Amino acid sequence: MSRALNSSVRAGLAVVSIALAVAACGKKEEAQQTQAPGAAAAEEKVLHVYNWSDYIAEDTIKNFEDKTGIKVTYDVFDSNDMLETRLLAGNSGFDVVVPSASFLERQIKAGVFQKLDKSQIPNLSNMDPDIQQRVALHDPNNDHAVTYLWGTTGIGYNVDKVKKILGDKPLDSWNQIFDPKEIAKFKDCGVSVLDAPDEILKVVLQWMGRDPNSQKDEDLTAAAEKLQLIRPYIRKIHSSQYIDDLANGELCVSIGWSGDILQARDRAEEAGQGVKVAYSIPKEGTIVWFDMLAIPADAKHPKNAHAFINYLMDPQVAANNTNFVNYANANAASFSLVSDEVKTDPGVYPTPEVKAKLFPSLAYNEQATATMARLWQKFTTGQ
Amino acid sequence: MSARAEAPRRHRHSAGVQLILDFLQGLPPYRWTQARLVRWGLTGRTLVTAVPYFWLLLFFLVPFIIVLKIAFAEARIGIPPYSPLLSWVDGSLAQIQLNFATFQNMVEDSLYWKAYLNSIKVAAISTVLCLLIGYPMAYAIARAQSTWRHILLMMVILPFWTSFLLRVYAWIGILKNNGLINNFLMWTGLIDQPIVMIQTDFAIYVGIVYSYLPFMILPLYSNLEKMDLTLLEAAADLGAKPFKTFLTITLPLSMPGIVAGSMLVFIPAVGEFVIPELLGPSDSLMIGKVLWQVFFTKRDWPAACAVAIALLLLLVIPIVLLQRAQAAEARGAHR
Amino acid sequence: MATNPRPQQQLAVWNDPQAVPYVHIDRVTKKFGDFVAVNNVSLKIYKKELFCLLGGSGCGKTTLLRMLAGFEEPTSGKIFIDGVDMTNIPPYERPVNMMFQSYALFPHMTVEQNVAFGLKQDGVAKDEIRTRVDDMLKLVRLSQFAKRKPHQLSGGQRQRVALARSLVKRPKLLLLDEPLGALDKKLREHTQFELVNLQEQLGVTFVVVTHDQEEAMTLSTRIGVMNAGEIIQVGTPKDIYEYPNSKFVAEFIGNVNMFDGRLIEDEPDHVRIDSPELGGTIYVDHGVSSAPDAVVSAAIRPEKIIISVDRPAQADNVAQGIVKEIAYMGDMSVYLVQLASGKVVRVTQPNTYRHAEDSITWDQTVYLSWHASSPVVLSE
Repeated sequence: MSRALNSSVRAGLAVVSIALAVAACGKKEEAQQTQAPGAAAAEEKVLHVYNWSDYIAEDTIKNFEDKTGIKVTYDVFDSNDMLETRLLAGNSGFDVVVPSASFLERQIKAGVFQKLDKSQIPNLSNMDPDIQQRVALHDPNNDHAVTYLWGTTGIGYNVDKVKKILGDKPLDSWNQIFDPKEIAKFKDCGVSVLDAPDEILKVVLQWMGRDPNSQKDEDLTAAAEKLQLIRPYIRKIHSSQYIDDLANGELCVSIGWSGDILQARDRAEEAGQGVKVAYSIPKEGTIVWFDMLAIPADAKHPKNAHAFINYLMDPQVAANNTNFVNYANANAASFSLVSDEVKTDPGVYPTPEVKAKLFPSLAYNEQATATMARLWQKFTTGQ
Repeated sequence: MSARAEAPRRHRHSAGVQLILDFLQGLPPYRWTQARLVRWGLTGRTLVTAVPYFWLLLFFLVPFIIVLKIAFAEARIGIPPYSPLLSWVDGSLAQIQLNFATFQNMVEDSLYWKAYLNSIKVAAISTVLCLLIGYPMAYAIARAQSTWRHILLMMVILPFWTSFLLRVYAWIGILKNNGLINNFLMWTGLIDQPIVMIQTDFAIYVGIVYSYLPFMILPLYSNLEKMDLTLLEAAADLGAKPFKTFLTITLPLSMPGIVAGSMLVFIPAVGEFVIPELLGPSDSLMIGKVLWQVFFTKRDWPAACAVAIALLLLLVIPIVLLQRAQAAEARGAHR
Repeated sequence: MATNPRPQQQLAVWNDPQAVPYVHIDRVTKKFGDFVAVNNVSLKIYKKELFCLLGGSGCGKTTLLRMLAGFEEPTSGKIFIDGVDMTNIPPYERPVNMMFQSYALFPHMTVEQNVAFGLKQDGVAKDEIRTRVDDMLKLVRLSQFAKRKPHQLSGGQRQRVALARSLVKRPKLLLLDEPLGALDKKLREHTQFELVNLQEQLGVTFVVVTHDQEEAMTLSTRIGVMNAGEIIQVGTPKDIYEYPNSKFVAEFIGNVNMFDGRLIEDEPDHVRIDSPELGGTIYVDHGVSSAPDAVVSAAIRPEKIIISVDRPAQADNVAQGIVKEIAYMGDMSVYLVQLASGKVVRVTQPNTYRHAEDSITWDQTVYLSWHASSPVVLSE
């Protein structure tokens, strides 16, 4: 309840921030030039973090505060679009933000982030070189960001209700979502889709057997046409509320993010209402995405930001977060500290054969972004 | 003696302050500025009356011009996420580029038209519902005994003391499939399958009517409360039955209240975002949601500004109506 | 109680025991909580009368009127109009119209629409409504204002609209609550006569509530004087003025000099009252039925006292005093004369010829005399 409420509150605030951002836009270009990283010798002991909702262990912030004496203001979002809007408005006031790699890529180009001072992040040595290499695709030389957690986009479902509908047939294919005849079976028990247009279009293209990262108009339009066909069967398009809705049985099938769905599973267990939730990575393959810790160019507390990133890269801290949120981290040194239960969960750490079918999400150019947005608007409004 | 003669002019300030004022007023810049201001017709009084104009200028006109400016820019990925209108050619020549494509897109894309029309439809139906529910309530409060009247008014205003979002969110708990209403009905055995209420248009209307009802009741109440009751007696005396009296006297005389209340409901309901987002179906097509998507998903600030300007123009008409109704109300009060 | 016999009056309907009253108020009481607004009032009003309920504010006159209109229900007692019991009959079904003190014109309707309102409620045909409204507006001389709204009219015009609106339905009984109260003095006098003319012309029974005794005297066939929820006296203006039945009525209507005293001679054809205030006795040429030695008051109207410089040759009642104040009013002069006892007597004399007032001046010793028929003997 509280998380969805949180996002709604933010929704309200963001409307206000339109006006404020507009009024402030004149000043920020100068502001960002004058702020060099680590310029302030003695920083105020405060830090503003903007992270995804339900994306950190309960005690991480408190432990960091206790250890460093830095007071953390922690705010959350549930879509890359929201984050990007606030970053591009400038003067976001955040010191650490967590965009996905594909968004980070073009945000770097727009000059949103400052280069990391790697000397301030000794824990970088703990990073998994394989993943560092993968994200270098978006952030050459890993200059601007450190991988926080990574995961996949798949299908979460209510085990009992789906079993009632499908019998012994497993729910393990995009076809069961994107084929109107198939998805129709779930209509009455409730289907939700992430409000993340780029990811949904990409998995549809993957299902269609086309290049998932295609930026061609024809491909995007073709994917959108497929989506229109299943629109009547979708109850909700949302990127955070589905966790609770899956957990309490309001929804029965959701396209969601791996860790979120696994959290829904845990919450359902805790609630003890007899709801069982499971996560499935479709056999056609899906997106693997990386959420990146980065510091905005106009951050007022870059030194504290570096300290925070370094803290998150501590093997024990990283393991705790992974254990809590069910998302894999990119910290090689922490793997041994991750609990067996999580380590062996193929939803968190996919098996090698599943891993082979995962593909990265690449950044859209401006043209593709505009096309995507228009198509998505038509999809969400059912027009 | 001369000191005494000057005393009345000085009495407002302590000796020290007066000394400083005297000094400042003796300086050429002060005298020069004052002379200038007076020559421009700026006296203390005009400056005081200028305050509200300045306020309007600062908090309405300036933001509006900025929004207008962005609407004519082009979207891009960068900070700020739109192109500047003014660019320098050869470092000396200023060039203004106006991009009308945004407006053209808006006119051509039927999505916007549908969203505007649907928003107006939703707002209009909500307004009528608010009126149908709010009028009897306002009437009952206005005719209640004065001790009761304050309690009843308090009950109307009380929900404002909690967060708007929280109240809308509470409706999710009431309307959802395993929410209050469905659980109760299933417990009584009246239904065995939950009635789907959440994420329907019905829930949007419930949310809007619930949230904006006080805005309908309060102006209606203040109108009905002021009404001269002997007019109703006169109508009865002339042979009009109670319902006829209501139709021919009470209703027309409360028209200013009806218009004011309706506008107060209609105007915010047209641009409503939170209620359709939380309670409505995911495909609810309201301009507030479209604006949100244009801004946050498309990240197209010019388009978002254009949508906002069109919305503003759309609302100017009812606002003008509202002001005329209020002016009529004020004239009525003077009689 | 002292009763003063009066000359035989013309035969009026209210003196005819066979006559059937049009409005019959039968022992009506109205309470608001503990407050008794109207206390056991009985009253008979006859067709074509112009009956005034006269009293100060809060005397219950308006409440009584509102009960006639049906806006209030009596706590006990009954009201009959044209023989029909009005209990439980709502205002809109009563054969009665009312003209409100505030006029209660509908501000959103034109003059024409206001006047037509009542006819529309009765389902009168459109053409007939038009002619009747036109006729009525002509009658009150407002034809050229037909399309105006009430707030575009003067006070007097509004009053006439209100009158037209209440008369257009040709009610048998018209109730008027302070009909002239909101008008200035000049207009009020003019309108008074208009009202009376209209009433006679249309033959409608009027019940008028007023606090203005002059208005009541001018308008009415009969007056009911009210005080504290009760009717004190009912009678023609002349009755009320010349033969008040109580000190309250005598003092409420016009000016009066009240001499307190003791009955010393009580004969069938005359009485004599010893009044220390007067410094002598008052001779009254009619008998009163009262206990001997009773404490009574003799009420004498100022205009019935003759003021003279010389002692009148023969008069039943003479007193001597000193002129303390003279007010020249044009048509008459008012003298305040102080008697030896200190009591100040008010005397008015018409200025029947020019400089009539000049013969009497301040601090002059004068003689006051009055006819033996003039005093009214009151016991309370």
